[in-house]
Amino acid sequence: MSADPVEEPQAPYVESPIIMTTVRVITPFVFTLGLFVMFHGADSSGGGFQGGVIVGTVVLMLGIAFGIETTRDWIGTTIPVGLVGLGVVAFLLAGIGSILLGGAFLQYDVYPIYHAAKYGMEFVELAIGLIVAGVVTGLFFVIASETTDDKEVDQ
Amino acid sequence: MSDLAPLLVALPVFGSVVALLAGLARDRVGWAVAVLTLVVQTAVAGTLMADVLGSEAIRYVVGGFTVPIGIELVVDGLSATIALLVAVVSLGVLAYARRAGPRSNAFYVIYLLLVAGLSGMSITGDIFNMYVFLEITGLTAYALVASGDGGRSAIAGLKYLLVGTVGASLFLLGIGFAYIATGTLNMGDLATQLAEVGYGSPLVLAAFGLLVVGLFVKIAVFPLHTWQPAAYAGAPDSVSAFISALVSTVAAYALIRIVFTVFGTEFLAATPLASTVLAAGAVVSIVVGSLLAVSQSELKRMLAYSSVSQFGLIVGAVAVGNVVALTGAAIHLVGHAIMKGGLFLAVGLVNDVTGARTVDEYAGLAKRSPVGAAAFSVLAVAMVGVPPAVGFVGKWYIALGAVEAGAWPLVVVIFASTLLTLAYFARVVERIYFRDSTETSGLAPTATDGGEDDAPEPVVSVGMRATVVAAAVVAVALGAVAAGYGDLLEPTIEGLLS
Repeated sequence: MSADPVEEPQAPYVESPIIMTTVRVITPFVFTLGLFVMFHGADSSGGGFQGGVIVGTVVLMLGIAFGIETTRDWIGTTIPVGLVGLGVVAFLLAGIGSILLGGAFLQYDVYPIYHAAKYGMEFVELAIGLIVAGVVTGLFFVIASETTDDKEVDQ
Repeated sequence: MSDLAPLLVALPVFGSVVALLAGLARDRVGWAVAVLTLVVQTAVAGTLMADVLGSEAIRYVVGGFTVPIGIELVVDGLSATIALLVAVVSLGVLAYARRAGPRSNAFYVIYLLLVAGLSGMSITGDIFNMYVFLEITGLTAYALVASGDGGRSAIAGLKYLLVGTVGASLFLLGIGFAYIATGTLNMGDLATQLAEVGYGSPLVLAAFGLLVVGLFVKIAVFPLHTWQPAAYAGAPDSVSAFISALVSTVAAYALIRIVFTVFGTEFLAATPLASTVLAAGAVVSIVVGSLLAVSQSELKRMLAYSSVSQFGLIVGAVAVGNVVALTGAAIHLVGHAIMKGGLFLAVGLVNDVTGARTVDEYAGLAKRSPVGAAAFSVLAVAMVGVPPAVGFVGKWYIALGAVEAGAWPLVVVIFASTLLTLAYFARVVERIYFRDSTETSGLAPTATDGGEDDAPEPVVSVGMRATVVAAAVVAVALGAVAAGYGDLLEPTIEGLLS
């Protein structure tokens, strides 16, 4: 539709020491916060969706600080896809495992562990967190690649 | 055996993840994974259908909770029918999609997720859970529509996304109103609690209006159908067939659930306006959908508008709301899915063989693509409602139900709809068999059915042709068993209306 020869000038990646240092310092804290929120899915406010997004933003920050292409090459396409797959499989196993132990689908209290209902839910929240983090990372790279270059994205 | 119910949703999700992860290691494994998953899915759905048809419904609460709190899955005769239909049609479309594509792993990942969403919508007994599956269905359907090459399918997908999201949001708002009124989300529990709140309550009325209009968008009832022709015409052929056969069908099933399981016949009796709105939607959809179908020149758009009109019949049956009409609605849902899916596949097949996409290009098609032309004609005749085929049985029951209820304007429109359906299919069938091809050269003179053994990869595979022929055969054969099926379904429908 837009055969306009004058394209919007793309904002180039700026190698800013301030951003790089800040990101380097706060990344571990953000990551920990993400896990903290994820672990609070069962009996307090928090959960896999919020925590997963926070963990996903770690990759976004790295991308902004060190360049999106560099970060993408470093992470690769396998890891986000693998995370999503692992999360869904973990969720399904938690559900089907309880059927095999004689309960209903996702009935945590048939698992022979301490506070099974609580920790079962935590486990599922962690799985959801993996899925959300993987999807956020993947979406970020797909959207970024559409604006920074015209390369075909085949994932 | 009731543990099979959650598997109906878990299995396609699992298959989807397997396809996703296997895609990291190897290309082109998605198709095989999808076939395996859907064969098992069909077996599970078939077992459930055999268990519940003519006997008690299976009620299963996820996670071992008790009913109003836990998410309940309900498999009765009607939901088992829809779940089995979803499994069988998605398996059938795979046979076509192997050669016709899209072939990427991502396509099959989304395809299986869509199957999970549709199966979930058909067996859930929880209204919020139904919204979640409605969104899964919607999002995956938008992605599938946009998966074709070129800008046309991308624009169609975007339009579908915008309009579909509005529909789903209205549905969610409706759930919100019902929840404020009653404090529960379980469908069975809602039915009793809504009666206690009182059918005149503005909250209950608003909930009904929002839920029904939200589903009207998803079904593509006339003034809210605008996403549908573009989506069906812009999507790749396999996707058009899959979506036209199942997505609106399951939304129409959801409408039956909402109107009769959640609100119930007493609500309709107490609120004449509700029945009037449903009947008006049905009449307008049938008439205008057919007229728009007659005016189309592109085959796929014509079939899309035909769906608008056919789903008007289903909504009409809901407006009538007696046992005979709803039995007809169930039969017509299944029949329409087979016929419309088959028609889209036949159009895709003809396009691959001859390049013909418009009504005029179909002139003399019988010589160029005998298999595609024959299957299209049989399916078209079945859709018009000529007796042995399933299209006749569904319409007959709906019309009979309308007569029984004394809804004479609806009866007139239902019979007129048969003539209107004839109007847009007759001009195509007439061109196929009684006119000579205007262009002698065509796409490639050797590219006829069955004569391309020398080509390295023929455009049309045996699987594609077999699927189209099978759809035509099934559409006729189902007509013979439909009446018996209707008898088996009667206890379920009576339970729905009590």
